[in-house]
Amino acid sequence: MLDYILLVILFAPFLGAIGLIFVPNRQALQVRLVAALSAGICFVASWIMFFTFDPAKSGYQFIQRYEWSKELGIAFYLGVDGVGAPLVLASAILLFAGIFISWHIKDRTKEFYIFLLILAAATIGVFMSLDLFFLYFFYEMSVIPMYLLLGVWGSHTKGYLAMTDPEGLKQRDSVGFIFNFASNSKEYAAMKLTLFLSAGAVVALLGILLIYKLSGLNTFDIVALKQHTHFEGPVGTLIWLLIFFGFASIAPIWPLHSWSPVGHAAAPAATSMLHAGVLMKLGHFSIIRICYEIMPDLTRQLMPIAAVLCIFSIIYGGLVAFYAKDTKYVIGYSSSSHMGYVFLGMAALDYISLSGAILYMFAHALATGMLFAMAGWVYDQTHTRHIPDLGGLINRMPFVAGCFIVACMASIGMPGTVNFIAEVMILVGAWHKYPFQVFVAVVGIVLTMGYLFRMMRGLFYGPMDEHYAHAHDAVSMVDRFPLLLMIACSIGFFFFPFHFLDVVRAGVEPLIARIIEVVPIVSQAGGIAPGGGPLP
Amino acid sequence: MTFTLTLSPADLLLMLPELFLTLWLCVILTIDFSLPRFPKRNLAYLSVLGLAVVLANLVWFDRAGVTGTLFNRMFVLDRMAIFFKIFIVVATILVILASIDYVKRFKFFKGEYYFLVLMSALGMMFMASANDLLSIFITLEFSTFGFYVLVAYLRDDPASNEAGLKFFILGVFAAGLLAYGISLVYGETGKIVLSDIASAQATPGLIIGYLLIFAALGFKIGAAPFHAWIPDTYHGAPTPVTAFLSIAPKGAAFAILLRLFFISLASFKPAWVLLLVLASILSMTYGNIVAIAQKNIKRLLAYSGIAQIGNVLIGLAAGTKMGSDAILFYLLTYLFANLGAFAIVIAVGNLINSDEIEDYNGLNRRSPFLAFAMLVFLLSLAGVPPLAGFIGKLYIFVAAIKEGLYTLIVVGLVNIVISIYYYLVVVKKMYINEPVDNSPLVVPAPMQAVIYASLAGTLALGIYPQPFIDWVVSATMMFSHIVAPTVAVVSPIIGG
Repeated sequence: MLDYILLVILFAPFLGAIGLIFVPNRQALQVRLVAALSAGICFVASWIMFFTFDPAKSGYQFIQRYEWSKELGIAFYLGVDGVGAPLVLASAILLFAGIFISWHIKDRTKEFYIFLLILAAATIGVFMSLDLFFLYFFYEMSVIPMYLLLGVWGSHTKGYLAMTDPEGLKQRDSVGFIFNFASNSKEYAAMKLTLFLSAGAVVALLGILLIYKLSGLNTFDIVALKQHTHFEGPVGTLIWLLIFFGFASIAPIWPLHSWSPVGHAAAPAATSMLHAGVLMKLGHFSIIRICYEIMPDLTRQLMPIAAVLCIFSIIYGGLVAFYAKDTKYVIGYSSSSHMGYVFLGMAALDYISLSGAILYMFAHALATGMLFAMAGWVYDQTHTRHIPDLGGLINRMPFVAGCFIVACMASIGMPGTVNFIAEVMILVGAWHKYPFQVFVAVVGIVLTMGYLFRMMRGLFYGPMDEHYAHAHDAVSMVDRFPLLLMIACSIGFFFFPFHFLDVVRAGVEPLIARIIEVVPIVSQAGGIAPGGGPLP
Repeated sequence: MTFTLTLSPADLLLMLPELFLTLWLCVILTIDFSLPRFPKRNLAYLSVLGLAVVLANLVWFDRAGVTGTLFNRMFVLDRMAIFFKIFIVVATILVILASIDYVKRFKFFKGEYYFLVLMSALGMMFMASANDLLSIFITLEFSTFGFYVLVAYLRDDPASNEAGLKFFILGVFAAGLLAYGISLVYGETGKIVLSDIASAQATPGLIIGYLLIFAALGFKIGAAPFHAWIPDTYHGAPTPVTAFLSIAPKGAAFAILLRLFFISLASFKPAWVLLLVLASILSMTYGNIVAIAQKNIKRLLAYSGIAQIGNVLIGLAAGTKMGSDAILFYLLTYLFANLGAFAIVIAVGNLINSDEIEDYNGLNRRSPFLAFAMLVFLLSLAGVPPLAGFIGKLYIFVAAIKEGLYTLIVVGLVNIVISIYYYLVVVKKMYINEPVDNSPLVVPAPMQAVIYASLAGTLALGIYPQPFIDWVVSATMMFSHIVAPTVAVVSPIIGG
């Protein structure tokens, strides 16, 4: 049974989506229960998977391999390592929470849940694919449901920055002559997101095809490619760059990030959660899976690119979040700023910082998931996300306000939440190689405090507008459960990170060993942290 | 030249599907003339019955491995011919089922409609078997003949008349080019069977002859720069005819193109790869960019069809066994996705009497089934997993990258992104915009059958393509010896 656990995790949401087709549209409760059931199976199975993952063994676990096409060299090859397992768990938690967060969606409930389940299942599929074809297959498959989720169930934005038109559905974007949608509209956000991600995917696909061609092995199997190929020289560099920037556009790294906050802002709460929580991590994960595993030498030479770009990600995202007026824009830009930390942790190519980066992805998924869930709650109650219009809501919704404060603490990285461990690991691990970036990251933390506290004050404190007297708190268990679930995970893993760190270590250790083993000198001269190399 | 024609009953077996279909055509026409009260709707079911028999016969041929040649190698029945015949018959069955409700719009000649569709199908089945220059010309004209009438079938509609006239004039011009090209090739080589001309030396006359033949076939498949007739003809023709025109003749023409390039011209490969690369880049880019501006769904699908053909030409440019596999597979994915999309255009056109994309607003609220099916077909055309189109595109790209056609792949990938945009615009109208009129749309049963069949095909080819891949690989087995693996180096960006 345990051998098939990955299939259960992957196919439970898919089968749920297929099952939903046969549920009559009018039975909204049945629709929600079917969705919750399939997400619940996925959720329970991922916890079982995570805790039966054996950190003492190296390599991939729970492997499933089925020949899919011999002519093209494709196998349906699943397996998780210490990098994939935590992210599968994070996706399952966010999916399960997201089902309850969107419990009150009334418009076309059935279709919403179908697309949400497909989105989550595709995301989970990327985290467990050991075949380049299926990695791309699931990656591209996750993009299209986003379009519909944003476009149909999303919301327009009102003047997200000081200089944008607050009434703003008239203003065209600079590329408006093609898109022909107003720049604050959800249609614009959805189209921009889909095109950016598809363009990124296509760039990465070119890289994947080049790997396939130049390896000469006639296979997309990552494990085989890892063992039998070696890429170097200008062609190798080109492939590395194609894959890196193709996937970094979803991550999103600084110059390619502009789709992300618009997308977050337009999306309904559960979609923003999945999007910021796990979809963006597809980028980091795929870079680790392809660049780190198949091209370790090039990764060592080229990863400084990420170390430079992450500075801009952190500072730029933080500053824009500071000035943003729309709650979801604040959280969206804070996400793209925080993704810079993950890139910093990855770029340092150090055991501790890379473990920190993976832990940070998990921690950030929970923290951002909570923030988006509560921003969504506030929006549902008040029908605005414009911070200057809001205030004093703590009187109306003490529970949500309390959870929001915890979520802010988590996002900042306060001790008591798992984000703290992750942030410290990244900063400590990267210090020897990139002290300047670590300095920038610390400034970024200060910025984070600034904009999150500012948003907290704007939403929950100060005088309350009489308009919002009817707003009410999350009272029922259905509404409280997802928030409590995410908080419990975040705090729980702070106090008991041991198994988690063991799992991550099982994945990171061989990765880093392959990358720095080739030139061992680096660990003395180049400044890999003492003890930061492969652990004995 | 001695020309002896010996025909034994065993030989005639090879033509059994065509002979049966000819007989069936006559039956349909006779019933239509002699029993005026016979419901026309039943003629459609009779036609489908006949085609189903032909299909069963072809599947039996495929299983039993019946192959051979007839009439001094003029007519060949090999695995690839059987593949294309099955392709054409399936397309015809789906088109006839999809036209049942549309035919009510015709004021006259409702019965002859089915006769003409079957006749075109018969011509295209012969095209799949054409093995010399003469039979190429005859079968090509035979199949187009029915279409000239069908395109102009809406007699009172000026657009349909214009479409028919445009198609006719350009079609006859293409036929002229074909005949001239054939005469040049025959004049240079003195031979007409495709495998015999393979050994010829390249002379200016031969090259011009082949270019003219390629232009004629390019007209048939609607590849740029021979695409000029496509948008207006697709727009004006009755929608089921457009659906038929967008699938079946392209498949049949690719049977001829494959034989021509991979058998007759195998030794000139370095020369024609460049030609195909140019045609492919032009088709993809032109088709996709112009499709962005379309307001009418039939025109949008017309331009997207030009772009899709550009994709298929990538496989031809690869010029390998794998390239031909990829072409066959891609055509299968295109069959289901494109026919499905047109079936919905027909269904919606019957219900709301409009083909403007604007009128698809809120289709999701009016009929969730139609909107979802359209979503699946458009995404399959765009090449999004887990749908058929994605596997088709990937197969083509893998075949091309093995030959080092980097430029073509980069252009193809960029075009995927462009195409996603305009397909999503339609999706946006269906799902996001609110409908003007909220009344639900009910789809009649035969149309539902077509849409379900296309959905099943699109999903099956995308999720579990291996049986189909096995089929196309065995269908093109004859190319594994003919095309020697050559190293084509056409404008490489990166030295492999």
